[in-house]
Amino acid sequence: MIRVAQVSKDYHSETGGGVHRVLTGVDFDVMPGEKLAVLGRNGAGKSTLIRLISGVELPTEGTIASSMSVSWPVGLMGGVGPSMTGNDNIRFVSRIYGKPFQAMRDYVDDFAQLGKFLSEPVRTYSAGMRARLNFALSFAVDFDCYLIDEVIGVGDHRFQQRSYEELFVKRADRTLILASHVPHIVRDYCSRAIVLNRGRAKTFDDLELAIAIYNDL
Amino acid sequence: MAGSLRLLRRDFAVQRQVVGAIMMRELVTRWGRRNLGFAWLFCEPLVFAFSVIAVWSYVRAPFDRGLPMTAFVWSGYMPLLIFRHVTSGALESISNSAALLYHRRVTPLDLFLGRQGLEALGNLASVAVSFVVFIAIGAMNWPENYSLMLFGFLYTTWWSLCVALIIASLSERFEAVLHIWPPVSYLYIFFSGFFILADWLPPDLRRIALAVDPPLHCYEMVRGGLFGDQLMHPHYDVAYLTFLLTVLTLIGLALVKDVRKHLELE
Repeated sequence: MIRVAQVSKDYHSETGGGVHRVLTGVDFDVMPGEKLAVLGRNGAGKSTLIRLISGVELPTEGTIASSMSVSWPVGLMGGVGPSMTGNDNIRFVSRIYGKPFQAMRDYVDDFAQLGKFLSEPVRTYSAGMRARLNFALSFAVDFDCYLIDEVIGVGDHRFQQRSYEELFVKRADRTLILASHVPHIVRDYCSRAIVLNRGRAKTFDDLELAIAIYNDL
Repeated sequence: MAGSLRLLRRDFAVQRQVVGAIMMRELVTRWGRRNLGFAWLFCEPLVFAFSVIAVWSYVRAPFDRGLPMTAFVWSGYMPLLIFRHVTSGALESISNSAALLYHRRVTPLDLFLGRQGLEALGNLASVAVSFVVFIAIGAMNWPENYSLMLFGFLYTTWWSLCVALIIASLSERFEAVLHIWPPVSYLYIFFSGFFILADWLPPDLRRIALAVDPPLHCYEMVRGGLFGDQLMHPHYDVAYLTFLLTVLTLIGLALVKDVRKHLELE
């Protein structure tokens, strides 16, 4: 399970000397196999929370403990090097996680359907293509818990179907934490939700209630 | 005990895997697969070295205080090249590769070792190539004590990596480092030992210089090995140098451990 205990996060202001407190005293647990939505408006701290859980950034206060393997934040940014080609990214990820390159390439090729674009630099990709590559790479590594930052909404219908299949049919037992502001995606994927507002977090076992409250923010 | 040892060994294996992957990525993204490709890694510094050395040997007398000019310039310039290349690329190098830090297995130290380690290897390769070429064309004599010279270059590399690790970490915290570093690295030419032998200094100044200036020991080793005791009287203390560099390495490791707190990723 993942235990987020009394977590706060500050960012230094780029212009003034002060700090912005993005998250304040966030506290919740995620059980294995649970599908948790993180709801919040733009700037509410969804991505920050996802990055903290992944361990990419460290909390200013509080602790995050995890007893399972957690993916990197699967989103539009990060995880893949923009100046590298798709193939180089596959090679890099296969090397750092110690997986055979060819099998990973075949899988990514099949899932992301990038064709000849795999030998082009990622910075030339559209948002949807990046999302597909990042998703495919994280599925190819195989984690216990997937952290997904908005990105499902970026893909087209076919991609959303494939992602759903990977996350719910092939990996039904895995944990999922999904940040989104799109209610229908949250309904499709999640059973519980956290609503973020002004840096504070509230957990809801009733998904519809969470969505209703989010809509009222 | 056995368990933690196994864990440590696994961590070490992961780190080697990650550093190797970063080096391969660095080779491909910086020099590409086309044309000379990663041969640029050591061709680039070689072009510099040959032109500077050619000009210098032309404008200066063939012997200076009994030392052959070309060899003196080569032994001054190559360590400088290592230091400059390894340190200058270190500034903000961690945040420049921040996309890779999304993989939790990749630590800021891995990024540093992959990028600056490759830079150091490339520069050592260019030292080796220019050495072979200079010997082959008769511009330099075979060193009197080549293992001493080799250790001089290895210590130069260690010293450069220490400084690079410290400024790589500090430049993520304090923007001032980016502005202070260029003049410092310029002044380095004068206090490193590029132009001088320790023996030319007055004894009091020499004692102070050797106490506070690690690269001077490195230069003395390189030149002591190249020229031998007949031509010069080298001053260096390997034990003391090792001690200084170990302290600097520990400082660097302590600083880089903290870097993640100061990174703000996209």
